[in-house]
Amino acid sequence: MGPRPPARRSPRSRWCRGTYPQSLDPGLDYTTQGAEVNWLVYTGLTTYAHKSGAAGGGLIPGLGTALPVISNGGKTYTITLRKGLVFSNGKPVVASDFTYTVERSLKIPWGGSGEFIEPVIAGATAYAKGTAKTISGITTDNATGKIVIHLTAAYGPFDNVLAFPSLGLIPAGFPMTVQATSPPPGVGPYKVTDIVANQSYDVVKNPLWAKEAIPGIPSGYDDVDVKVSSNISANTLAVLNNSADVFDWADTIPGSLLGQIQSQAASRYHLINLGGSTYYVFLNASEKPFNNQLAREAVVTGLDEDAMSRIGSGTLQPACYFLPPAVPGHPTAPCPYGTPGTGNLAKAKALVKQSGMAGQPVTVWSETRAPRQQWMTYYTSYLTSIGFKATQKVIADATYFTTIGESKSLHPQTGFADWNQDFPNPVDFYGVLLDGNSILPTDNENFGQTNDPHLNSVVTKLGATPTTQLSSVVSQWQALDEYTAKKAYVAVFGYQKFPFFTSDRIIQSKLVYQPIYGWDFTSFDLK
Amino acid sequence: MARFVVRRLLVMVAMLFAISLVTFLLFIVALPNGNPAALIAGRLANPAEVHLITVRYGFNKPIWVQYIKTIANIFGGTAYSYQSYFNVDAEIEAGLPATISLALGAGVIWLLTSILFGTLAAIRAGRYTDRVLTVLSMIGVSMPPFFFGAILIYYAGYKLGLIPLSGYVNITNPAQWLWHLIAPWITLSILFVGIYSRILRSTILDTVNEDFVRTAKAKGLSQGQVLRRHILRNSLVPIISLWGLDLAQVIGGGAILTESVYSLHGVGYLAYQSVSHLDTVTLMSIVMLTALAVVVLGALTEIFYAFLDPRIRLQ
Amino acid sequence: MSLIDPAPAQLTDGGLPAELIAEAAEVGPGVGPYQLAWRRMKRNRVSLAFGVLFLLIVLLCLLAPVYSHDIAHIGPDAENYGTIKVGGKTENIVSLIGIPIGPTWELGHYFLGADENGRDVAVRLLYGGRNSLEIGAVATLITMVLATICGLLAGYFRGLTDGIISRVLDVIWAYPAVLLGIVLGTVLEVHGLGPFHGTTLLSTALVIGFVYIPYVAKPIRAQVLALREREFVDAARQQGLAHVRIMVSEILPNVASTIIVFIPLMLANAILTEAGLTYLGAGVQPPNPSWGTMISQGINNIPAAFSNVLVPGIMLVLAVLSINVFGDGLRDALDPRAKIRLGKDTASVGELSH
Repeated sequence: MGPRPPARRSPRSRWCRGTYPQSLDPGLDYTTQGAEVNWLVYTGLTTYAHKSGAAGGGLIPGLGTALPVISNGGKTYTITLRKGLVFSNGKPVVASDFTYTVERSLKIPWGGSGEFIEPVIAGATAYAKGTAKTISGITTDNATGKIVIHLTAAYGPFDNVLAFPSLGLIPAGFPMTVQATSPPPGVGPYKVTDIVANQSYDVVKNPLWAKEAIPGIPSGYDDVDVKVSSNISANTLAVLNNSADVFDWADTIPGSLLGQIQSQAASRYHLINLGGSTYYVFLNASEKPFNNQLAREAVVTGLDEDAMSRIGSGTLQPACYFLPPAVPGHPTAPCPYGTPGTGNLAKAKALVKQSGMAGQPVTVWSETRAPRQQWMTYYTSYLTSIGFKATQKVIADATYFTTIGESKSLHPQTGFADWNQDFPNPVDFYGVLLDGNSILPTDNENFGQTNDPHLNSVVTKLGATPTTQLSSVVSQWQALDEYTAKKAYVAVFGYQKFPFFTSDRIIQSKLVYQPIYGWDFTSFDLK
Repeated sequence: MARFVVRRLLVMVAMLFAISLVTFLLFIVALPNGNPAALIAGRLANPAEVHLITVRYGFNKPIWVQYIKTIANIFGGTAYSYQSYFNVDAEIEAGLPATISLALGAGVIWLLTSILFGTLAAIRAGRYTDRVLTVLSMIGVSMPPFFFGAILIYYAGYKLGLIPLSGYVNITNPAQWLWHLIAPWITLSILFVGIYSRILRSTILDTVNEDFVRTAKAKGLSQGQVLRRHILRNSLVPIISLWGLDLAQVIGGGAILTESVYSLHGVGYLAYQSVSHLDTVTLMSIVMLTALAVVVLGALTEIFYAFLDPRIRLQ
Repeated sequence: MSLIDPAPAQLTDGGLPAELIAEAAEVGPGVGPYQLAWRRMKRNRVSLAFGVLFLLIVLLCLLAPVYSHDIAHIGPDAENYGTIKVGGKTENIVSLIGIPIGPTWELGHYFLGADENGRDVAVRLLYGGRNSLEIGAVATLITMVLATICGLLAGYFRGLTDGIISRVLDVIWAYPAVLLGIVLGTVLEVHGLGPFHGTTLLSTALVIGFVYIPYVAKPIRAQVLALREREFVDAARQQGLAHVRIMVSEILPNVASTIIVFIPLMLANAILTEAGLTYLGAGVQPPNPSWGTMISQGINNIPAAFSNVLVPGIMLVLAVLSINVFGDGLRDALDPRAKIRLGKDTASVGELSH
């Protein structure tokens, strides 16, 4: 027997991203690019199942021993921390770390804190304002590991909020400022190292994870090198030629390369509708011309989602309902104004005439990047063709949503909007985007300033239902979504299908397409 | 002499501050409400968040206080970008390898090529070679670099697979590093070769008539010796000083178009991204760095000239 | 053959080009410098040919509405996601996965193909050319007028005026031109400045025109400074003429040739800069067509329909090239002994748009 060959270094999979995540510090990040990594580095008290399809939207216990016990009419959540957990730097986890994590997210502030933490957890507002030293609504006992959270009011999706990576526990005492290149340690199968600003980062296995033995959260196979390159075509070809392993699903594969992919690599390319994102145009029902129901109907009736799909390189699934398929409450009934994918121009023109709004000037608000800008270019010319006087106004991406959120000064009539689910609960869509109670004078997300009393009351009523009991109110949500479609408060044009494309080094059968996070890093195994 | 140097240095410092102030003020105008708090808060911001950010970054302080604080941060290395809170110095450092590789490689190529073309065109002035080189130069200055880059990427990259399509590979992998930089080097050089070779041609043709050349010929030096020892040396001086300035500009992030089309995430690309994200601090840092590099090189050149030629000092 | 014993056509012992010597012989009294220049221009056939080419391009673009209405029957913004018949076969204008049809080479019928929004490339090329040329012209006008004013004021009054103007110009020039362009373009796009917002062509022209003022102002200032020293200015002052009168009637004509030489250079530059700014998203905003928007949209869709990059790109290069060659000939005609001014104040054109 000869000498044993030296142990081989674990192979790394190579990822191409088109966009750098906002931050690998969970206290700041509120982007899909960041969440995709962070959910595996910072496990929360609850987390999501590592499964494809609808099953992946289900919650499982994370750092807690079980899903929270909900009491007090939905206002109190009790959960016990698992024993023996350690952070990736070896420090033991204690219950009070949870309080510190929430406080840090408020302090930095995390992008979702204004919606999901500050108004929700009792005492959070006082802490954020600086009048309290800690969040009074959270009490912890380090000896037993018990955590009790009091809410200001019953908030159905709170279990989902606990699963956000930004509420994934980090050690108390870690600096309360963003540490972009050396983020905090977390409890999870992976950790991030070698962060180079705007260029690359490595996601490597956390050696201390195996001992944690949390059921339902796999340890993962290989480490990952992530490189950011803005040339999407080059990234596509790199994966096609196996010089890179994974394509960023949030980017769009150029249509011309699809032919090559179909012929050379069809087995490793899947166009999947994760079912969590809706692309739509908002219609401002408090301004002319869309304060008229017929005018809104006209827009929906004639919109040619097929044309829009072509503009989007065939990745759009035409649709009419606001809630996408992965969110419970997505209706199954046929669309009220014609099958999506065709557009009845004649009928739309007639409706516009009938509404008396023909000739009204309309400004269409649009982002700069493709294909959103091209979608709005088409939409503008479409509006003109059915009888309005439409002009397109393009806004720099960085300021687009802030600009159209200036509801008090701007009153935008119509324009592009999209929403990707934070969690599979309709409150995430309706509560933020269509609830009349959520209209703000600035930083508004209800761009169409929809204020329908029926809609508002249903959302308030159903919003208190905990996620685990969602199935009991699904039909009511469906009814509401059908109502919204009939009222045409928004003109949905489709759900996005995302390209899941890998090299042939990756074992396809093990891949998990997580509906909330896209790829599941832990399922990537190199041959 | 000392007064000359000191004066130039003072002007340089004043210039840096002026540029940074202009940038700062421009963005105050551009940002909604004059500060990026709303942008940093992102979507789903509520007034409490925005207020928190405003207080934390000091956006509620008077403009001149904010400006001083920003400058102090930049010089102290404690400036952080608004978008991702990266340390600005770290961001620039991350982009430097790509930019410096691009600049130096292209710089050497364009300088040598210009000297070759310019000298050839001058020697064969009026003849066919000269005309061809002139046409090539004219095309070079008439072509947007990203258009030429797109052509290279498409034909040499997609169709023929001769060059990689984008990206920068660290020099730790020399073969890949080189291969990824060939197309960007050529693209960036085209423009400069067009200009420099024509300048050199003109300068050489003018120098030929100077007295010292005829003296050299009268002394019996051979054609080649006159060319090398006298003509070229004199003609190259203005080219070299221009080269230094242009190189400084490229390193400081001036080659934005080339870096964009080839996805070289260098300093130029960073500058461009920071404008898109309305990231004032990063942009101010980069702009000041570029201006510093250009001004330092310019001042050094002038000091060098003044040292050589006393007539200039007295101006 | 060699530099020292050059071909007789180029250099002679006197140091003057032989052509000039010959010319001097034929020139009589009463032939002004512009007439001389015109004669030299006429001899430079290549330069003239390119000048004519440029005029043809301008004419073609001005005829955009004619082509659009009478030949192609489609406007530059009209989108079509249906099908057309090409050579007997029915084809999708934009395929299901978003690939537009290539050039059909049938006049009036998507002659140069379609873009990803189903618009006719040929029609957009002409309308876009109009916009690009318009922006170039306006930008050049802004640059030349303001630079001349700055140069005159700074060079004539010297002292404090010169100090202020020169420092301001230096600050503007210290900014890399493209970067300043996108900063200003983005500011205008995001916020606007009074009546100027990013969606107008005028604002783009304004930005481009502004950025290059120092490049022209500095040489003009240098020339004015030198002229200021001359006797005729003192004579005019002694006659009691107002400053403005002196600047306009005595000094301005003497810098006129410099100004004229700069015009084609700045026009070429402005067109190139518009393309660059638009590629970076800070120039012309959609749906306004321009050569820049067409090239950058085409680049974003590589490798589909590369003709959408080539067509506007070649058009742009031809236009800029013809301006450059003509401008070169113009410079030679106005002052054949002019060296390219090299100095610490004049940067090379190279920095302007890379």
